[in-house]
Amino acid sequence: MKLAKILTMAAALVAMSASAQKLPWQNAANSASGPNQQLVHFLYPQQVTVKAGQPQTIELHFRIADGLHINSHTPRQKSLIRTELIEAEPTGVNIAAVDFPPGSDFAFPADPSQKLSIYSGEFVLTMHLVAQKGNHLLQGSLRYQACDNSTCFPPRNVPVPVDVIAN
Amino acid sequence: MRRNILVLAAMVAALALMISAGVVNYMQRQRAEQARLDAMKNPQVQLVPDGSQANGGADADSAASNSADDEMPGSQLNGQQAPNFQLEDLSGRKVSLASYKGHPLVVDFWATWCEPCKVEIPWFEKLHDQYAGQGLEILGVSTDDLDRNDPAKLFTEKRDISDFAAKMHMNYPILLGMDSVEDQYQIDATPTTFFIDRAGRIVASTIGLVPRDQIEADIQKAISGAKS
Repeated sequence: MKLAKILTMAAALVAMSASAQKLPWQNAANSASGPNQQLVHFLYPQQVTVKAGQPQTIELHFRIADGLHINSHTPRQKSLIRTELIEAEPTGVNIAAVDFPPGSDFAFPADPSQKLSIYSGEFVLTMHLVAQKGNHLLQGSLRYQACDNSTCFPPRNVPVPVDVIAN
Repeated sequence: MRRNILVLAAMVAALALMISAGVVNYMQRQRAEQARLDAMKNPQVQLVPDGSQANGGADADSAASNSADDEMPGSQLNGQQAPNFQLEDLSGRKVSLASYKGHPLVVDFWATWCEPCKVEIPWFEKLHDQYAGQGLEILGVSTDDLDRNDPAKLFTEKRDISDFAAKMHMNYPILLGMDSVEDQYQIDATPTTFFIDRAGRIVASTIGLVPRDQIEADIQKAISGAKS
């Protein structure tokens, strides 16, 4: 009787395992399909503690899906969509500036003469802010437009929520 | 004692089954992810510079023909009637896909921010001229975002597309895309191009930049496809 119970439990566990959703070590960023699939991920920080009333900097870390690139903040052509951070300042927070890293040179294999300024892999933005004492939720988003070597995807926005604790 | 051994054996077997199910599940998902990414990226394509026929052109033509005949990753709409649409061109005139019935037709979804599209556009211009005698028509559908609720912004956005088309010397109609049409054609990325025969059937499609020879082979398919 006891053995039957154990076997039943084991069978249930096996069934659950077989129907499991995406496993934790799989990289969801590897898929570019679907209009809502994020191709850039905000990594961290989710929460920062800063000194209240004084100029502070926060480093925002992002990762671009493997095999893709996005335009830098200063693309070389007017028609290209630059990467930008759209920030809504909550009451009690003043964002003075956001520094973007310089882009790397890149050319599509089919058009090697056309040099572009892009980000790939991981990149970091530096935000300069002053926060009044208290807890503030920054609800920004990063607007980007990604391509691989032969295909471009429409512009997308990835949410950048940061909880700022000013002491 | 015997019961304990049986219980232990059952637990080990269950654990082994769980691990194997997890590994199989992981491998299946990996394969599915890779297939989907391959379909989007079309990575097996070896890009061939324009005018390659002069240098080993026979091989390039042959490869292009073979690749066009193979099951190339393209739209799921291949083999189906092209969904009809009515879109505005840059002058505000309504253009219907149905009005092109009887012509072999290329519908290219592109965007001003799409660098690979800029490589293909001059090819389309030349091929448009080259196959004009056989009735070939090309429509370029811009997928640039348009703010239709803000007239001033819309004016600027349309002007940017118009300037881009002029700069690229696009010699075929440019239509302003709409989400509903892009949904119908399942556009997730640019360039995405459909090759439609005279009867309005999609005979081929490509996602991403492909060799010029493949585009020409697909145009020839549209020309030699069913008559209206």
